[in-house]
Amino acid sequence: MLELDGIYKSYYRQRVLENISFSIPAGQIVGLLGPNGAGKTTLIRIINQIIAPDKGYLSFHGKLMTSEHLKNIGYLPEERGLYKTMTVEAHALFLGQLRGIPKADVEKQLNYWLEKFEIESWRKKRIEELSKGMAQKVQFICTVLHDPDLLILDEPFSGFDPINVELIRDELKEFRAKGKTIILSTHNMKSVEEICDQVVLIHEGKKIMEGPIMDVRNAHKEGLFSITFSGNMIAFATALWAGYEIISKEVHNDTTFTVYLKMRSENEFNDLLATLLPAVKIISAQEVLPSMEDVFMKKINEGKEVENA
Amino acid sequence: MRKIHLIAMRELKERIKSRSFLLMAVLGPLFVLGLFYALFSLGGSEKQHWNVLIMDKTEIMQTKIAPKKDPRFTFHFINEFVEYEQFADLEQFQGYDLAVLINEKIISNKQVIVSYRELPSENIQRRLIYHIERRFEEVMVQEFTDLDVAKFREIKQSMNFSFKNTYDPKNEVNYKAAWVGYVFGIGILLFVFLFGMTILRGVANEKSNRVVEVLLASVSPKQLLMGKVIGIGVTALLQFIVWASIIGVGLYVFRQTFFPDLLDPSLLLEQMTQDVAQQAMNEFALTARSYNDFVDLVYRDIHFTNMLIFFVLFFLGGYFFYGSFFAMIGAAMGSESDGQQYIIPISVVLILSLLSGYYVIYHPDTYMADILSYLPFTSPVIMMIELSKGFTEGSVWQIYLALFILLISSVVLFGIAGRIYKNGILQFGHRLRFGMLIRWLKKS
Repeated sequence: MLELDGIYKSYYRQRVLENISFSIPAGQIVGLLGPNGAGKTTLIRIINQIIAPDKGYLSFHGKLMTSEHLKNIGYLPEERGLYKTMTVEAHALFLGQLRGIPKADVEKQLNYWLEKFEIESWRKKRIEELSKGMAQKVQFICTVLHDPDLLILDEPFSGFDPINVELIRDELKEFRAKGKTIILSTHNMKSVEEICDQVVLIHEGKKIMEGPIMDVRNAHKEGLFSITFSGNMIAFATALWAGYEIISKEVHNDTTFTVYLKMRSENEFNDLLATLLPAVKIISAQEVLPSMEDVFMKKINEGKEVENA
Repeated sequence: MRKIHLIAMRELKERIKSRSFLLMAVLGPLFVLGLFYALFSLGGSEKQHWNVLIMDKTEIMQTKIAPKKDPRFTFHFINEFVEYEQFADLEQFQGYDLAVLINEKIISNKQVIVSYRELPSENIQRRLIYHIERRFEEVMVQEFTDLDVAKFREIKQSMNFSFKNTYDPKNEVNYKAAWVGYVFGIGILLFVFLFGMTILRGVANEKSNRVVEVLLASVSPKQLLMGKVIGIGVTALLQFIVWASIIGVGLYVFRQTFFPDLLDPSLLLEQMTQDVAQQAMNEFALTARSYNDFVDLVYRDIHFTNMLIFFVLFFLGGYFFYGSFFAMIGAAMGSESDGQQYIIPISVVLILSLLSGYYVIYHPDTYMADILSYLPFTSPVIMMIELSKGFTEGSVWQIYLALFILLISSVVLFGIAGRIYKNGILQFGHRLRFGMLIRWLKKS
């Protein structure tokens, strides 16, 4: 659906993006991750054609991207604002028409969204009369008003209360279900794990990782398992003896524990269970995949180590 | 084009709905009209009818005044002197507005004292003097000569001296007209500054509340800047049209109601005998000149159509020219408070261009004046001055050349502003330095 091929961008002899290439299929939510200053906002601006790349190409639905495609993109920037003196309706009409959508269609869509969010009474309110959370809802509506195929959201959850975060998350899932594509730039790794299908990690202007969330987490797993059992801790430790390394434990009560351990040898998960079953009563046992936050930190630190070496 | 139109319309709607636009549209022209009114009436009362008590102890006037009645005055004669205090306080004199004291030695000392309750306007004073002088002419002709009054007036007519500049014998340098042009030029600069600042504030505001990034995802920076500048420019033109309409209507109303005979001595003279009319007209014109310059200026000397057309053209040129500077600064500012110091140089240039107009009025034939006429910074003011003085045949091209240079410069400067706008509008939180502007300018 969207394809980036060898994107380069420099500002005043300082390289901000270097050879960024990836493609996003339709109907997916892609997390664009990276620490501050990694070049995410620049990349997003390039996709939105706010700035042009020094080198590289973008294609949209298989065609070289032009300004014509902008009407199929919705963009909610991190630093977002509205004209304070305009009413919600006037603002939505203005932004919708700027995207090239006929007024009647914008009005129809606005009615739909105001009804959906149950905020019809805000229609004639001036933006300055709204609270920050209310204004953000309006911003979201203005972003999706023209029913775009691609939604680009830069830190969409910042400033929202948990109820609104949930609301927006549900909306994004609904968008995905309709076959729309979403690029989500955020530092909120919990959201990434929860709703993203894929991630692209950028660090210092370079793409350092890309792939489906589960693949990425699996690729970075370290053989860590969590076992919750009831019984004697000494019996548990004795049963394991060699071949396993206990990393940490949580004591729930005198007889119930959760232990995190790694396997040292070629043992399989089944071997572990076979070893433990005679010694304790297993309540739950599972392999622990690294969180996206762990993966993120690990990859960023790897980058730093390479630099220092 | 559609996007530029949408942005311009948004700007226009926002501005014309604002309280400051409405205040300026109403109070501005009313202030100007007030000024006109004050200058027309020159601080005197323009009461429609005056009761005049003529204290003529020796009855030299024989209770007569000019041949026909002037509806503005009713004259009453008494053959005694009334003290100021009595005239002021006694009830029997309260019906009189003016008291004219004709002293016993009037024939030799020519002293007439008029005491008033309310200062009459220059116009009323002139009329009163006219009536009494005419009567005395008749009296003196009868008493001391064998001439008839008409002959006497012909003899009496004063010599008409005319002072001419040896370097400008045809009096081509018309200061009065030049000042009119200057006022128009000041108007242009005032509007350019006010609406230039509106551009700056609008751009800086969009930048600081971050709405600009949302907009730039739909329109190019040049479209956004163009729409904004056009929208605010149309607002300025609307404001100007409102000003011109209110002032125009106001001046018409002044002429029809408050000052009906302001320009037309014949209105006064039609009631007098034909033989004195011409001579009176001369005198009237002469006395009128001392105060009536401003009236002439407003109702006779200004070629409003020409002036207004070129006012709009030079305003548009000047607005785009100076507006580009304001837009550049607005886009380059790191925060709303940052970059204020860069407004000072523009203000200084605007003030210098104001002063250049003053210079050109008094040194019209200098080389410097020629340069200033074509320099886009100053041409809006200078050309309004030149236009109001009038172009001699064959030199009209000068105004078109100045306009052409101004428009070309505006286009070039607007291109430069567009580049700085494009590169600066998404930079936040920095302190604006001059080097940045150069860097953004070099960047494509």
